[in-house]
Amino acid sequence: MTSNLTLIFNKGTKRSQHNFIPEMDIDRADLTEIIPSSFQREDLPLPDIPEVEIVRHYTELSRRNYGIDSGIYPLGSCTMKYNPKINEVITRLPAFSHIHPLQEENQGALELIHQLSEMLIEITGMDGFTFQPAAGAHGELTGILIMKKYFENKNLKKNKILIPDSAHGTNPSSAKMAGFSIIEVRSNDAGEIPLDHIEFAMQQGDIAGIMLTNPNTLGIFDRQIKDITNIIHKYGGLCYYDGANLNPMLGICRPKDMGFDIVHLNLHKTFSTPHGGGGPGSGPVGVTKELVSYLPDPSIIATEQGFVCREKTNNSIGRIKCFWGNFGVIVRAYAYILALGAEGLKRVGQIAVLNANYLRVLLKEKYHLPYDRICQHEFVLSDRGIENDITTEDIAKRILDYGLYAPTIYFPLIVKGAMMIEPTETESKASLDNFVEVMIKIYDEIKTNPDLLKNAPHNTPVKRLDAVLAARKPILRD
Amino acid sequence: MDFILHDKETIAEMLTSIGVNSLEELFQDIPVDLLLKKLNLPHGLSEPDLLRRFEELSHKNKIYSSSFLGAGCYYHYIPSLVDFVISLSGFYTAYTPYQAEASQGYLQAIYEYQTAITRLTQMDVANASVYDGSTALAEAAIMATVATQKKKIILLEGIHPEYVEVVKIYCWGQDIHFEIVMEDTLISKLDESVAAVLFQSPNFFGDIENVTELVQIIRDKAPKCLVVQVMTDPTCLGVLKPPGKSDIDIFVAEGQSFGISPSFGGPGLGIFTSKQNYLRKMPGRLIGKTNEIDGEREGFILTLQTREQHIRREKATSNICTNQALCALASLIYLVSLGKSGLREIAFQNFQKSHYVKQKLETIPGYQILNKKPTYNEFLVKCPNINELIEQCKQENLLPPLIISKYFPNMKNIALVCVTESNSREDIEKFIHAAQKASKKNMGGN
Repeated sequence: MTSNLTLIFNKGTKRSQHNFIPEMDIDRADLTEIIPSSFQREDLPLPDIPEVEIVRHYTELSRRNYGIDSGIYPLGSCTMKYNPKINEVITRLPAFSHIHPLQEENQGALELIHQLSEMLIEITGMDGFTFQPAAGAHGELTGILIMKKYFENKNLKKNKILIPDSAHGTNPSSAKMAGFSIIEVRSNDAGEIPLDHIEFAMQQGDIAGIMLTNPNTLGIFDRQIKDITNIIHKYGGLCYYDGANLNPMLGICRPKDMGFDIVHLNLHKTFSTPHGGGGPGSGPVGVTKELVSYLPDPSIIATEQGFVCREKTNNSIGRIKCFWGNFGVIVRAYAYILALGAEGLKRVGQIAVLNANYLRVLLKEKYHLPYDRICQHEFVLSDRGIENDITTEDIAKRILDYGLYAPTIYFPLIVKGAMMIEPTETESKASLDNFVEVMIKIYDEIKTNPDLLKNAPHNTPVKRLDAVLAARKPILRD
Repeated sequence: MDFILHDKETIAEMLTSIGVNSLEELFQDIPVDLLLKKLNLPHGLSEPDLLRRFEELSHKNKIYSSSFLGAGCYYHYIPSLVDFVISLSGFYTAYTPYQAEASQGYLQAIYEYQTAITRLTQMDVANASVYDGSTALAEAAIMATVATQKKKIILLEGIHPEYVEVVKIYCWGQDIHFEIVMEDTLISKLDESVAAVLFQSPNFFGDIENVTELVQIIRDKAPKCLVVQVMTDPTCLGVLKPPGKSDIDIFVAEGQSFGISPSFGGPGLGIFTSKQNYLRKMPGRLIGKTNEIDGEREGFILTLQTREQHIRREKATSNICTNQALCALASLIYLVSLGKSGLREIAFQNFQKSHYVKQKLETIPGYQILNKKPTYNEFLVKCPNINELIEQCKQENLLPPLIISKYFPNMKNIALVCVTESNSREDIEKFIHAAQKASKKNMGGN
């Protein structure tokens, strides 16, 4: 068996000297006088490789990886939009990248967080934000813990939560981490939430509220959203907005106006900060006036003396992460909002929806579109009518052969063999047309040459990998 | 500015294909009273104007010529190639590698990261990262309660106070009983009901515990209790005995010291490792090596996903999804850049330099080192007048050490000093000079 690219640990060359160690400019004491030898390690099995070899190795690896700079990245609910390069320059300014979280002279950093907070308040309609959560799921946990504390303070036993079957997978697991049990709400044939189900559930009395995303994972804006949040509120519940799908709503419609009490945003989706292959992200949480005192500490306020942390409140849930949150990500998001401004942000929402609908109408000619209506940022195709035992996964793998990335597959769970497609606003018409062309070619191949799909991909650095073997005999390191 | 590529004609053409007359019509499902009239934000900025705005803003933060502050966030030299490599667009503009065959570069890199971390720590398994050190510790606490089916954890005094707060909130979420104990009362608190003991070493005050002995004490009293160690600056592992050699069950750390700039405390890197037996209770992503289905070649893939939220939803071991992949990559590049000899030398210099400063401070009237145990690059010093020391440091353009009463109000006039390889002899002399001046001032001299 041959490995197609050697691991860095197995590179043969060794370096003769070290480039990264400052000269030792004080007298060396005997180390065992500082730390007993029984506390010391015997060996350190890391390689010693020359700089040039390291750079070549990782440059080659980076070539074996698709990114948004390579082309369309149509992963549904992931909002893979272009990451402006200026943001990388800004976040690396020394007085941002080199400051310590506990230093006193930090007014620039506090002002930045505060200003971004004000802008997100305008964009979402909420009344206060925390920037501590490090990612979307972390924001969900924060929001749900706020719900928990709110009901504890009211001495109400509300230990269940409503989550639609069209929700992101993190919603139920975040709710579980906050000690809630989950009641799943089934969407109706239109992909929306039946009001009578909500009403019936809330009548039981032990439900804290609902977590949902709107537009949902089918890309559908729930037309009765205001009725849903009204029902929840009527029974004293709270409404949580999963902001993973906020992109098409920018400048169009605000979560607070829909009736939500708590929202989390994904700065690494909606506000263009790079995904970096799965993080770092940032998942700020916004709340209504009634819940502002529940936000985690530290919370920044503006005073005449400058920006300071507010006094600790009894309501605050505490601290969800060390220090201030993922500041480097926060800087990029603020730069993005300032660059686009009011008009630019609205245009993002509009064009994201335009691009999604354009793909929707062209692709539904060939593929089954179970919810056939105007969509928002994304839409979901199913595998109905796909012949010759070809699966959604086969189609996804074949897309890779054409040098593109595949949509999110097998999600949402309510669509059989789902392909969830979100092009975002930063694709050109030519790029969208190319994607459609590829999808149509593949559709023809399903009929004429199904083996081409079953054995796909053919043009990637490796052919289809054995996921079952990986899980059965996990090899997680060398 | 914006990043949209359509002109007016293209938009019109696309609207026609869709079968609507205007962009507004695409939002027909939104009730009219919910449509926003106007977003009350400023106009957009061009790149040069944007840069100028941020430069001005950043100047309201101070950067010092050298730092004596640590407390969970550290200044170590970062090799230039770290930032170069993570900025390669195949890495930084990629999503989570769901399509393995088009993401082999990242998957291999994270597999290498998992390998580097297990070699460094001598633990059996490392995941692909969690958010940071504090949430890693909280996840470890949760994982221990799941693995042991017990609902009580004990924290040993000396854990970073902000980490303690994070563990507390995660435990509150799941009704896990939580207690902080002093080292001398630990044994009396241990019994069959305890899921795990969590401790930090080197701890927040700088003390290095005798980890092997500590683990043995816990095992003797409560054999089924898991032992969890956390670290805020794992560069010390260049010299110190790794947790895997001390029978630690779960080891977590903040990995910011490995090639990630301080950046006001985030993003950092949550390093998460455990023994093999707890693999299936572990939170977060894992990259595995596998083979092509119909081929000879090896490749890398996200694996054991049945633990994860998108497969098991409410039954997942954790809700974590996006992690700190790019930071994990940075730390990998850091570790291979320094390599065996470099990491050892870095740890060596941290030991030596902080030890040197400790010795020098003790010769100045009024200063007293409070650590009774060995220390790495941080230590506690009782000062004649801490505010004066802070002031004198600032005058020397040094980022002053932490006034520890910020977290522990009863610990008055005590500084937590951090000295790393990034402090040159000249910086150190300035610091000693500042301490001397503060001492003299307090005694009425000049």
